[in-house]
Amino acid sequence: MNVIKQVSEDKKNIEISIDGRFDFSLHQHFRDAYINCKEKNSMFTICLSKTTYMDSSALGMILLLKDHAENYSGKVVISKPSESVNKILEIAQFHRLLTIEL
Amino acid sequence: MLAEKNDVKLALVVDDSAMQCKVLSVLLKEQGYRVFTANDGARGVAMYVKYKPDLVLMDINMPIMNGYEAARKIKSLSQDNSLCPLIFITSMDTDKAFIECVDAGGDGILVRPFSPEVFKAKIKSIQRISDLYGQVKILQQEQQKDAELAEQLMSGVIEARNFSLDRIGIIKRPAALFSGDIQLTALSPNGDVNVMLGDFTGHGLRSSIGAIPLAETFRAMTKKGFSLFEIINQINQKLYNLLPADLFLAAGFASISSHDKSVYVFNAGLPDAYLFSEQGKIKHQISSSHPPIGVLPKLLPDSKLTIYGIEESDRMVLISDGIVEARNEQGEMFDFDRFEQAAIHGVINHTVSESVLKAVNDFCQAMPQEDDISLIDIPCGGWEHILVASQGITNISADQLDDIYISKDPAWHWQLTLSGKRLASINPIPMAMNQINEIEGHADHWQSLYSILTELFVNALDHGVLGLSSNLKANADGFSQYYKERELRLGNLEHGFIDLQISHYPLLKGGRVMIKIQDSGQGFDIKKYYEKRVNKPTNKLELSGRGIELVEQLCDSLDFQDNGKVVEASYVWAS
Repeated sequence: MNVIKQVSEDKKNIEISIDGRFDFSLHQHFRDAYINCKEKNSMFTICLSKTTYMDSSALGMILLLKDHAENYSGKVVISKPSESVNKILEIAQFHRLLTIEL
Repeated sequence: MLAEKNDVKLALVVDDSAMQCKVLSVLLKEQGYRVFTANDGARGVAMYVKYKPDLVLMDINMPIMNGYEAARKIKSLSQDNSLCPLIFITSMDTDKAFIECVDAGGDGILVRPFSPEVFKAKIKSIQRISDLYGQVKILQQEQQKDAELAEQLMSGVIEARNFSLDRIGIIKRPAALFSGDIQLTALSPNGDVNVMLGDFTGHGLRSSIGAIPLAETFRAMTKKGFSLFEIINQINQKLYNLLPADLFLAAGFASISSHDKSVYVFNAGLPDAYLFSEQGKIKHQISSSHPPIGVLPKLLPDSKLTIYGIEESDRMVLISDGIVEARNEQGEMFDFDRFEQAAIHGVINHTVSESVLKAVNDFCQAMPQEDDISLIDIPCGGWEHILVASQGITNISADQLDDIYISKDPAWHWQLTLSGKRLASINPIPMAMNQINEIEGHADHWQSLYSILTELFVNALDHGVLGLSSNLKANADGFSQYYKERELRLGNLEHGFIDLQISHYPLLKGGRVMIKIQDSGQGFDIKKYYEKRVNKPTNKLELSGRGIELVEQLCDSLDFQDNGKVVEASYVWAS
């Protein structure tokens, strides 16, 4: 499975890691990973260190997660994007929408 | 929707034993099948062609043509849109036989002996798979039809209305039938050429929903003379409201103003845009400075167009990520270096789109295309004659019309006074044009009026209210400095006003519009201004003053009054 989810004990820290290509084929898995996380003030970390490629639908999925998080007063952080993925985030100027931890 | 098969299902039994044929026929009939039989493979194939059955039962060891060969023939003959399941009936219970059956195209195997119940269960399960296959095929066909419709809409309705396709180079090669990439070009009333290259999230039909509102807004607002930034703002708002959160538009916008000798660029999520000189030198590379369009409810507060001075021979090139991310068999990306090389070669030879497309093709060879590939290549010069050609046809001098005034009073009068901060954020010209269009109806020559209004308003704002000196624009560097300063002063604008008045006087054939603009600035020395105008060398390329020249050409009279704080212009036309 390319979408790996880890949840802290208090359920407030959700880490979603993407292994390999992050594209439309992961749509359902990615959504499943967060859709039932409804704790207030949760922190969603999308770990992209093992992501080799990301397309625009992946950017869209991240925005959906951001909407979801904000509905529950939560936050989304993108963590350690690989060089090629960071380039895509940069072109989309995502650092102006959410936090990217390099 | 499923196509219903109202007729009885047909089954074909191929077995050299008449006894076996009979047994299987009885079992199949109990399941509601009509049954045909054949006693060897060759005959089985012939029957298959003739009856197109819904199910085939196949023995393996038969004279003339064995079951494997017959199965291969049948599978190669069967049409794409219907799966005719083929079950091997055999008494060879070996791994080898099993594998060979599957290799030959069998969808199932029944090993003798079997009970009637097992037989019926097998037929039922295989029929289920075949029904499912039929459903998938029908859905696929419907999807294809929808995509074709969208494709037709995109190319026939949206992109066919693009402006000046003969001068603007376009590459458009979708990965799926329907491309999420969209290219738009339109001419603004003042002669600026607006272009956009956009890349909607994803591919196919889903990514096309935003295309129509996008194209409509882009065209209508360009035509009404809104500035590029206002257009982008509106498109962003519209797409944000219309599209789901994960659907957005990475887009590059450029407005080429021959008249300002500048290009205005905004890159929201596309790879770098390029400005090339005639010799293929990269003059500017414009990186994305904003998240894609439709992601945020409003553009970020610090968003602005970047302005560059241009030569007539320069070329502006916008690309989508499909070009730089195209991969070859080794998995390498085409990337920017190769793109730049191909584009430079193309700029020198005036074949940008051809050169880039060829380089991408040579690089990728037979690799399937993963993403839409698109590019727009726009020449920065040669646009003036297009505007002049569309203006001036109906523009005549008032002297010829002296005695045909219907009335000394205007048919209507429109006035707007903008002050303080509103001056920095509101462009009154589209509103004025809207009034004229609504009262007098549409006419092509309103473009001239638009140009006059825009030039005079910008003069009043820049030189009057903001107190900017056009001497700043004496050279190309000063040009950008001028715009920086302009932006700064606009941002700090607290006081000052501009009053705009338009009066329409109908003539027997045609009409006259009087424009009066007053500003709160210091005014200027009118006498000195005209002396300078008269003495200026005619062949020198001036970066300022072209606006007023244009207005003078279009108006039948132009008067500065009250130390230059008031300007009155008269525009007359015959119909």
